[in-house]
Amino acid sequence: MGCVITAVTTPQQKVAVTRLQPTAVNRKKEKSDHAKPFRMGTQIKDVIIKPDAPNTLLLDKHADYIAAYGSKKDDYEYTLSEYLRMSGIYWGLTVMDLMGQLPRMNRQEIIDFIKACQHECGGISASIGHDPHLLYTLSAVQILCLYDNVDAIDVDKVVEYIKGLQQEDGSFAGDKWGEIDTRFSFCAVATLALLGKMDTINVDKAVEFVLSCMNFDGGFGCRPGSESHAGQIYCCTGFLSLTGQLHQVNADLLGWWLCERQLPSGGLNGRPEKLPDVCYSWWVLASLKIIGRIHWIDKTKLRTFILASQDEETGGFADRPGDMVDPFHTLFGVAGLSLLGDEQIKPVNPVLCMPEDVLQRVGLQPDLLS
Amino acid sequence: MAESEEEVDVLVQRVVKDIINAFKRNPNIDEIGVIPCPEARYNRSPIVLVENKLGVESWCVKFLLPYVHNKLLLYRQRKHWLDREALVDITCTLLLLNPDFTTAWNVRKELLQSGVLNPEKDLYLGKLALTKFPKSPETWIHRRWVLQQILRQFSAEGQTSKQQQQQGETEQADAERSQQLGDHLARTLHQEMKVCCDAACLYPSNYNAWSHRIWVLQHMAMGNVKVFHDELSSMRLWVSMHVSDHSGFHYRQFLLKELITELSQPLSSATNSPQHNSSTVPSSSPSHHSQAQANGELSGVEAAGEEERQPSFTTIIQLFCQEIELCSDLIHSFPGHETLWSHRRHVFYLWHHWRREYQHYSSNGGSELVHLNDSDPGLQTVGAQSCAGRGESVNGQGHATEAMEVDGASFPELRDSKRLKTGILLPDPPALSSEYSFVSSILDDCCNPEQRRFALAYEKWLDTVIGHQP
Repeated sequence: MGCVITAVTTPQQKVAVTRLQPTAVNRKKEKSDHAKPFRMGTQIKDVIIKPDAPNTLLLDKHADYIAAYGSKKDDYEYTLSEYLRMSGIYWGLTVMDLMGQLPRMNRQEIIDFIKACQHECGGISASIGHDPHLLYTLSAVQILCLYDNVDAIDVDKVVEYIKGLQQEDGSFAGDKWGEIDTRFSFCAVATLALLGKMDTINVDKAVEFVLSCMNFDGGFGCRPGSESHAGQIYCCTGFLSLTGQLHQVNADLLGWWLCERQLPSGGLNGRPEKLPDVCYSWWVLASLKIIGRIHWIDKTKLRTFILASQDEETGGFADRPGDMVDPFHTLFGVAGLSLLGDEQIKPVNPVLCMPEDVLQRVGLQPDLLS
Repeated sequence: MAESEEEVDVLVQRVVKDIINAFKRNPNIDEIGVIPCPEARYNRSPIVLVENKLGVESWCVKFLLPYVHNKLLLYRQRKHWLDREALVDITCTLLLLNPDFTTAWNVRKELLQSGVLNPEKDLYLGKLALTKFPKSPETWIHRRWVLQQILRQFSAEGQTSKQQQQQGETEQADAERSQQLGDHLARTLHQEMKVCCDAACLYPSNYNAWSHRIWVLQHMAMGNVKVFHDELSSMRLWVSMHVSDHSGFHYRQFLLKELITELSQPLSSATNSPQHNSSTVPSSSPSHHSQAQANGELSGVEAAGEEERQPSFTTIIQLFCQEIELCSDLIHSFPGHETLWSHRRHVFYLWHHWRREYQHYSSNGGSELVHLNDSDPGLQTVGAQSCAGRGESVNGQGHATEAMEVDGASFPELRDSKRLKTGILLPDPPALSSEYSFVSSILDDCCNPEQRRFALAYEKWLDTVIGHQP
């Protein structure tokens, strides 16, 4: 390149940099004038589905999209997302399996990769050279279950790792640095359930902690006192399912809150006044399935919303119609359609987001409320 | 582009240095960003520092990020040695571009533990990353870890000073030291609130920012009524200007709930709360006496003072009244916001439960409560004025007429204490009947379909969730 770098600024640059400064006026969504209340209609936060939006399931396109995704390893985006690579692989492989296309992926390469990501402590990292974490330990074990090859890693060490992360109050740290979150409680029990080693932790204490994160609306947050959030609710209802404690949920109250996530477009959001999103459609829908209230939402409208979030040209699903696709939303779009009963897709388990036939092979049947 | 690996190497090392030098030149950089600029301009650094803003031209990011990313991973795999200074520089650049790279934060945790970095520096780096990535979960997670290190340090220093006191140091020296510690903690807390607030303004309903703010109060100010009051007070304007920010309102609900719990505690346990140790912000810290009066809210509570804080049920009822009134005002002014209706549910639910517990307590010989109501004479007057002063307010068609009757059950003690006062009535506490009339008033004169839908859902919620409870 041969360019000599000096630090000089030009007027143009100054304009550009100044623009980086957030201005309170631009950022504010709401205008408040308390002295003079004015009445005006509020735009409801939702999307409008265009008449020409996709309305049929483009399974072949999606399989091609996922198969091609892993091959772009020099991509800048690929570097940017390496910190969650193991979960990325789980998303891609699970959606391929749900579509009956798992054999198209490179099994041996992936298993070798996972082996290389297991650390001395037993935990598994997102990628080689990264630090181990519960999030990626679960993803790795899920992948190995899809491939029926859990013994590729040192299972005893994984169990020790998870056991070591449980705290006195029953909660789980995500890694050795100690961050606490109900998501990690889910990761811990889901991994142990898949390995058939649930009895190695203090389950009663773990349940006690998760229940301490329950809110007045029946939902759950990341820690005691935190706001209810559809993603956290999915983790906590999944956790209670795996630990056989679903009777502790106020299913009617929680079901009500979850159903209120459905917007006029049919899509579901994760919290009040947020935009609908295909991934939240999965988390809300799966939670409803777990607590036996899936029939409380309008399934036809949700299906329309999910189908409209496909990209007809590239394949894949986006967070909402018209946005850029990614493997994450592609899995949750396809899994959501499976829960809605689409017969072109394999039945998905709402607790672990894995094909039911895989769980049958593992011998795991998480509880669901009826 | 046909750059050789060597050229990229030289370029990137220069850019990393430029970034570090920019921080040396201006220690007050308060925001970072990428400047859209597809092509490199000859003889110009892609690092631009204007006033307190640090910009990186977009063309260089695609070289810069993979380079520092791979450097760090090679180091982590022990394939490439980096000295401590290089690690500090590389992780700084890396995290400003990709703050969710967990392992890079972990490297900094190790540097912090070995004393190469100080905690304040890392809080600053996180704050900058949040100006561009206000949601970044890993940045918030790292902040909590750093704050815990600071708290641990404070706790240890508090212990040391106690020991020194036993060894015969003067009490005055000890008091000075604990005052310094307290001030430092109060400053850290204040700064943390500011970081949360900035991130909340950059991204609506920022779950990570608000749950972090809750964590900070839980770990640094638990049991400190003053801090909670100040927060509630300063949040009033914020939520009024962000009426669809569900997370901001949830934070307000959290504050209210903690305050109610704290104020409901019997005298003895409240003042000797075990959480008042050297690593939580002491109630008397001066830097937190400032914003409370800003909005005029809760001035009565301020008048009650920390020293003679007592379980004041009048104060609690007043908190509920003010909250329901604020909620009504906002619902009227900004029709069709689900967040406001959800807030109303939560506040009424809190009230409903507190009332039931209160009744339970007073019917089990809690007679001191009545007596304690007399302890803050200034309170009711101020409170009544502040509520009465908002003529335009709320519950349009008047409150339920049975003044102190709540859901069919009355408050004899409160009615008595009300009579004892200077003749100014307390505002009516919330009641199921007034909630129903609020809903009808909305349905009667509002044609906004969303507002009607939320009003009906609230009515149904009252029927099923509140109505069915004993």
